[in-house]
Amino acid sequence: MKVSFFITCLGDMFYPNAGKASVQLLEKFGCTVDFPTSQTCCGQPAFNSGYHQDAKKAAKQTITAFADSQYVVTPSGSCAAMLHEYPQLLQDEPEWSSDAELLTQKSYELTQFLVEVLGVENTGASFKAKATYHTSCHMIRLLGVTSAPQTLLDNVEGLEMIDLPNKHDCCGFGGTFAVKMPKISKEMVDEKVSCIQETEADILIGADAGCLMNIGGRLTRKNDAIKVMHIAEVLNHSE
Amino acid sequence: MPLRVGEKNFENRIHTGLEDAFMRGAVRSAQERLRTRKQESSEELGDWEAWRDLGEEIRTHTLNHLDYYLEQLSDKVAELGGHVFFAQTAEEANDYVRKVAEEKEAQKIVKSKSMVTEEIGLNDVLEDDGREVVETDLGEYILQIDDHDPPSHIVAPALHKNREQIRDVFRDKKGYENSESTEELTRFAREQLRQEFLEADLGITGCNFAVAESGSISLVTNEGNARLVTALPKTQVTVMSMERIVPTWEELDVLVSLLCRSAVGQKLTSYITGLTGPKGEEDVDGPEEFHLVIVDNGRSEILGTQFQSALHCIRCAACVNVCPVYRHVGGHAYGSIYNGPIGAVLTPLLDGYEDNKDLPYASSLCAACTEACPVKIPLHEHLIAHRQIITEKENLGPLPEKWAMKMFGSGTSSPRLYRLASKQAHRAMRPWTKGSNIPNGPGPLKAWTNIRDLPAPASQRFRDWFANRDREDKS
Amino acid sequence: MPRGNIQHRENFLNHIAEQSGRPRSQHVERPAWKQQPQWQVFKHESSDKWVERFKKQCEHIHTDVIETETAGVGETVAETIGRYQAASLMMWEDPRLEEAGLNKHFREQMANLGVETHIWDKSKGRENINIAEQTHVGITYSDITLAESGTVVLFSSADKGRAVSLLPETYIAIIPQSSIVPRMSQATQQIHQRVQNGETIPSCINFISGPSNSADIEMSLVVGVHGPVKATYILINDQ
Repeated sequence: MKVSFFITCLGDMFYPNAGKASVQLLEKFGCTVDFPTSQTCCGQPAFNSGYHQDAKKAAKQTITAFADSQYVVTPSGSCAAMLHEYPQLLQDEPEWSSDAELLTQKSYELTQFLVEVLGVENTGASFKAKATYHTSCHMIRLLGVTSAPQTLLDNVEGLEMIDLPNKHDCCGFGGTFAVKMPKISKEMVDEKVSCIQETEADILIGADAGCLMNIGGRLTRKNDAIKVMHIAEVLNHSE
Repeated sequence: MPLRVGEKNFENRIHTGLEDAFMRGAVRSAQERLRTRKQESSEELGDWEAWRDLGEEIRTHTLNHLDYYLEQLSDKVAELGGHVFFAQTAEEANDYVRKVAEEKEAQKIVKSKSMVTEEIGLNDVLEDDGREVVETDLGEYILQIDDHDPPSHIVAPALHKNREQIRDVFRDKKGYENSESTEELTRFAREQLRQEFLEADLGITGCNFAVAESGSISLVTNEGNARLVTALPKTQVTVMSMERIVPTWEELDVLVSLLCRSAVGQKLTSYITGLTGPKGEEDVDGPEEFHLVIVDNGRSEILGTQFQSALHCIRCAACVNVCPVYRHVGGHAYGSIYNGPIGAVLTPLLDGYEDNKDLPYASSLCAACTEACPVKIPLHEHLIAHRQIITEKENLGPLPEKWAMKMFGSGTSSPRLYRLASKQAHRAMRPWTKGSNIPNGPGPLKAWTNIRDLPAPASQRFRDWFANRDREDKS
Repeated sequence: MPRGNIQHRENFLNHIAEQSGRPRSQHVERPAWKQQPQWQVFKHESSDKWVERFKKQCEHIHTDVIETETAGVGETVAETIGRYQAASLMMWEDPRLEEAGLNKHFREQMANLGVETHIWDKSKGRENINIAEQTHVGITYSDITLAESGTVVLFSSADKGRAVSLLPETYIAIIPQSSIVPRMSQATQQIHQRVQNGETIPSCINFISGPSNSADIEMSLVVGVHGPVKATYILINDQ
């Protein structure tokens, strides 16, 4: 199966290891992975801030970059959800709308792709640690992927998963929200951090670079030793 | 009290909210209780999503034929001898009620909870004429006697006050002498208000849903005050916002069921009261005269736009009860009687963008609101749509942001430029990097690093790794 | 009753049609809704099961249910009044109450116990309201009873005043088991049918579920606000 990998802008710059692990996972389960180098960003920062003209430019670039792909897989629920917004965003541009629709249909978040398309529920990973998982809002509510990450994590050998209290609450990232409404965002991430601390886990696992940057950055600022990992790194881990 | 309430400046309101430890504690525990209750009561139905689909379909159909159903409603009310006044504006609605009160020489007016009368500022108008207006919902009563403190929650208006504060208000304003126990406070309000009900010349209510087929209005309450307001005074005025209507009693059932579960996690509240016209000729209690005031006040401008579904709202506050932003800043931070996510959507629509341009940004777009809404209003999408109008049509976005987004647009649409910029990032950020983090970033990064560390850009981007790997594979 | 006035209607409704981008709606058929989950609730259950559900729900709404055979209604109500130590009661002028056992004999029994009995009397006009206000217990008959929510549905009329179930501190509803239906849907369907048949429905229809209550202070529930503080349902085994 041929898969085009969409690393996302944050993943490319800040979380390359999550990308590496994702590619290795996909290859492990028989995919041939390519990386269209003309990919940039999905456009979500501009879209969510209301700058739809600017978001459209990013969207068109992404559509073009993946025009020849059979499947597009990305290690981010939020960016995958953004790709699903393209048909709506470009509805007034008939020359783009059908291509936007095609991209939506072939785009998947990594864990969703593993479970729904490849039928993988156990990646054969092993990891001796106590961990908790942060469900990202866009993955569950916009993309509708509610169980895939948990299913995969539950099957990691040696990994003790602890339920995160108030797991359905947002971590306060929200893209530009984190810098436009910093005071509110701070309260939200602090609440998330105390819920994480309550679990006494060694590792916080997430499936979105934005949430991880936000929660992880607050954890290190508070000198908390909890390690932050992308789900792909965990699913590709072996002791 | 008009639509917009409290302090004008958004930043100040946020600050006040965040500093109010009691309010935040109260909101947190209220949200937890209400969420759990709603969760339980919707789960026990088993097919909550089917109920939501039905709720949405009913609201969509009714809004699409609103003129028809309002015509039917008003004909029925008139047939029964009730009077109907269609008010395009707040002023027209207020003037009409004022005239009714004048004609009836109403000294004392009792009111049950109504958001739309708050929105149009009806109490002020009646009080200016020297009439006594008594709010009888317990929460509203507390706020009213506390020098018209604004409401902070659509369903529980006095959520921001604790029992000690309420005891003090009762003591200072009404001579209350007992403790802060909720039972004693409530008992006191019951005794104080019972007399008011018996003496009142005029009763004013809102309307949860009107029923077009029979010219009925319905009131959903727990306290029983709306029943008293509509059973005892000789004249009743009901003020409804024009979208609060269902075709028949069968749809009333569905929406009331959704409302009670979503608002308070009850299967039904203690009282669902269906009122049809004035009292029957031989009836003893109930109003001799019934007036229905149907208010537009800017709602028709929302019809036919991308925001039409905002008018589906049944005022259950489920979106408020799950909103993490509301949890931290509280209801007053919205500066509007409509707070929480629905308030951030509705307030700019009813009051314009100029004074409310910050509200649509008071959301992390986590979509918990959209998920909670029993009539499936895509609240977070409406917030994004507002942001688009604010930045692209009203041109109210801050200039640096505009420039940044322009650069974003050019950067992301040029792979070469994008690659170049992301390649430079690691080196460019080196002066601010400590270990693997940036604790104190320059310029626009400050807003981020004031609160949390920023990870340093990786020395080798993913794309470099992939390219190298490809090259190695091929060599 | 002479027809009431309608003011400013045409402009108002024309404006709505205009905003909706169409001419005025002349005739609208209510559609057959795609989903109708309300009719599935307790659909395949026996009426005994509904009774059981009704009783269970009453525990949640702070309402006592006392069961009695047809012959024992008067006695049961008398005991209840005794338990409340009430000195007065008021009930609807309703032949169903009379037939159920709240008859002359019952009234004599009350008189012997020193309990004043008032019957709603339309000829006395608003005097009834003052009596209801001074009376300890209000008694009405349930027209329809809802299993799901523990609700009695009351159709008011000249003989069946609104105040009886509202002003006294204690409320007693007389409920034949045969009046129990699954939920509000069956009651509103009946009302809808009456409207369809061209009947004028009662000016006031109440769906009452237990005593009045409020959670307006700190979200903590207080039972008994403006309406009755206590409620008891007398459930008659008439099936």
